[in-house]
Amino acid sequence: MANVIEHHRHIIDFTLSSLLRRKGKNGALLLVYAVIVFILASVLFFSHALRREANLALSESPEIIVQRTMAGRYQTVPIFWSDRIRTINGVISVRPRLWGYQYDSVFQANYTLTVPAEHPPEPGSIDIGSGISRMRGAYPGDIISFAGHDGLPRSFTIRNVIDHESELLTSDLILLSDKDYRDFSGIPADQATDLTLRVRNPREYSTIAEKITRMFPEARPILRTEILRTYDALFGWRSGLIIVIFSAAIFAFAVFAWDKATGLSAEERREIGILKAVGWETSDILLMKFWEGIVLSLTAFLVGTILAYAHVFYTSVALFAPVLKGWSTLYPVFRLTPFIDLGQVATLFFLTVVPYTVTTIIPSWRAATIDPDAVMR
Amino acid sequence: MISVRDVSKIFNAGHPNEFTALHRVSLNLPLHETTVLKGPSGSGKTTLLGLIGCMARPTTGRIFVNELEITSLPERFLTEIRRSTFGFIFQQVNLIKGISALENVMIPAYPTGEKHSLLRARAMEKLGMFNLDMRAAARIECLSGGEAQRVAIARALINNPAIIIADEPTAHLDSTLSREFMGIIKELKSEGVTIILASHDPIVYDSDVADRVVEMRDGKVIKGGKRP
Amino acid sequence: MAQRRSTIYLGVTATLVLLLVGMFLYASNVVRTSRPLFARKTALVRQLQLTDLCLFTEASYTRHVSMTDISTPFQDSPMSLEHFPTGALVEPPFHLVRNHGQRD
Repeated sequence: MANVIEHHRHIIDFTLSSLLRRKGKNGALLLVYAVIVFILASVLFFSHALRREANLALSESPEIIVQRTMAGRYQTVPIFWSDRIRTINGVISVRPRLWGYQYDSVFQANYTLTVPAEHPPEPGSIDIGSGISRMRGAYPGDIISFAGHDGLPRSFTIRNVIDHESELLTSDLILLSDKDYRDFSGIPADQATDLTLRVRNPREYSTIAEKITRMFPEARPILRTEILRTYDALFGWRSGLIIVIFSAAIFAFAVFAWDKATGLSAEERREIGILKAVGWETSDILLMKFWEGIVLSLTAFLVGTILAYAHVFYTSVALFAPVLKGWSTLYPVFRLTPFIDLGQVATLFFLTVVPYTVTTIIPSWRAATIDPDAVMR
Repeated sequence: MISVRDVSKIFNAGHPNEFTALHRVSLNLPLHETTVLKGPSGSGKTTLLGLIGCMARPTTGRIFVNELEITSLPERFLTEIRRSTFGFIFQQVNLIKGISALENVMIPAYPTGEKHSLLRARAMEKLGMFNLDMRAAARIECLSGGEAQRVAIARALINNPAIIIADEPTAHLDSTLSREFMGIIKELKSEGVTIILASHDPIVYDSDVADRVVEMRDGKVIKGGKRP
Repeated sequence: MAQRRSTIYLGVTATLVLLLVGMFLYASNVVRTSRPLFARKTALVRQLQLTDLCLFTEASYTRHVSMTDISTPFQDSPMSLEHFPTGALVEPPFHLVRNHGQRD
């Protein structure tokens, strides 16, 4: 056993000496490889953590939301709908929901105004998300005014700033009372933005949704299961698209790595001949090539993955932030809970370490089986 | 005793470029002696050395090293024997560029899995034999021709082989270095190492180190060997 | 002489592997201890009747991904070629894709 370990270590010694001969080239290869792993791992970590976050946090979102459209546009929902819908079997409660957007032209930011179902602020006061608080430098006790639907400004006293820990859900929210929101937005008293339903049995979701659309053909029910699946697939094909684009870069790297790994130069062939001649077996040569592949690809995998973890969970994907922000000025500062899918990490491992190592070994197979006396001829 | 019995080696058999390198060669080489295979290039010296050194198999015939028939052994055992019994010195120094002299000397012992500290000490000792211990860390391309040749010899000796095989060792050396090389051979001989050299250099075959000179031509032994 | 190259390499690799494993263990521990945090978050979601993450605030269909509708191709589309940068990152809501077929 000690012999076997020492045997491997000798071969690793040799492989490292051999790799160090072309420090620049191999160093560059390692760096590019690590960067690729880093980006891939960052995308995987980030989208997985975000999906889990959404899935857990939104598991308590309304079970069914009923919207109304007219001529292909959202309309407010008449509140009398709720009485009709409540008569459907299996519906526990129907509640009109009031929410909407407000564009702040000074800060060029979009806010989401919403009326909480429980514990709304007193009329005249509001709660704001910590993103808004940070951006405007507004704190409890301060007064903020917005121009309402009629162009007249309305002033609100900040009651609370919503806790920072939920920023990924509430960063841009402004919570206000039912009365204030109707006054501010001009939604009549007999209308609501949409309706939220509580249902007794999740298996009845689609039956109830069907009954609602039969009752009100212009109604558009959205189920919680659909919301959750939307977030499951949030970075589905689009992030798949990013990976497709990125795969162009990977492909370029593959060509480079292929060339590096497969193109046994005459010099390398000669060296393999020498090693065979001085007493190395074919298996020793392949072992050397195996370690050559492992040294580069495993190091790249480890470094890339570790950096990606730090990037996603400590810096909140700082490098992707420009992409994620887009044109928005209000961007949540969040610290993701480190949900990690070990299956993804394993996949990443097998996609990075194995192919590279194999492409290093395979082409040397032929050279490794040459007759040891080749160097003498 | 190294015993070569009726050995032929045909390259590219069955192809239009078929070429008979050795033709029914028989030869007995006693151990602890120095034998020189002499002859022009293409006479089959190198091929014969390769066969004796377990680097290739003969097309027909058998070779025995110390009563052990090596011609029918599977490759793994052949490599094992080659590593433990033979040390090779090639026409070109055939050192691996870019790595240190010390590592080059250690390379043949890597597959044995010997303890690194022991191996390293022995490699230093072998380099010391040729006053190269100061150059152990130097890369091969920084060595002079003579130094490189001596590193190659140190490498041949690392596994303490019973038999040293040298193919045209002086072909790329000037006369001074060639004589120096023969001096080293003499020293090894005095330690009881069996030496087989192939050369058409008078410095080698006229040297008093040679106990036997076997003359070869066109793949046949024409003088000095046991004729069939 | 300095350390053997293989010693350095194996040492570095072992350190990196330990770091990675430690990271994952730490992460799973954080996940385990974040249960109360998520309880608070779900309570908030229930109280405010929230449906979406506040990740992209630049357009309504990226702010409330699950609330967008199929009519918006004539406004700001969840399925048209992107106008807003973050729109390139998010997938249209599941029910739209299912109910209205593939993008054409």
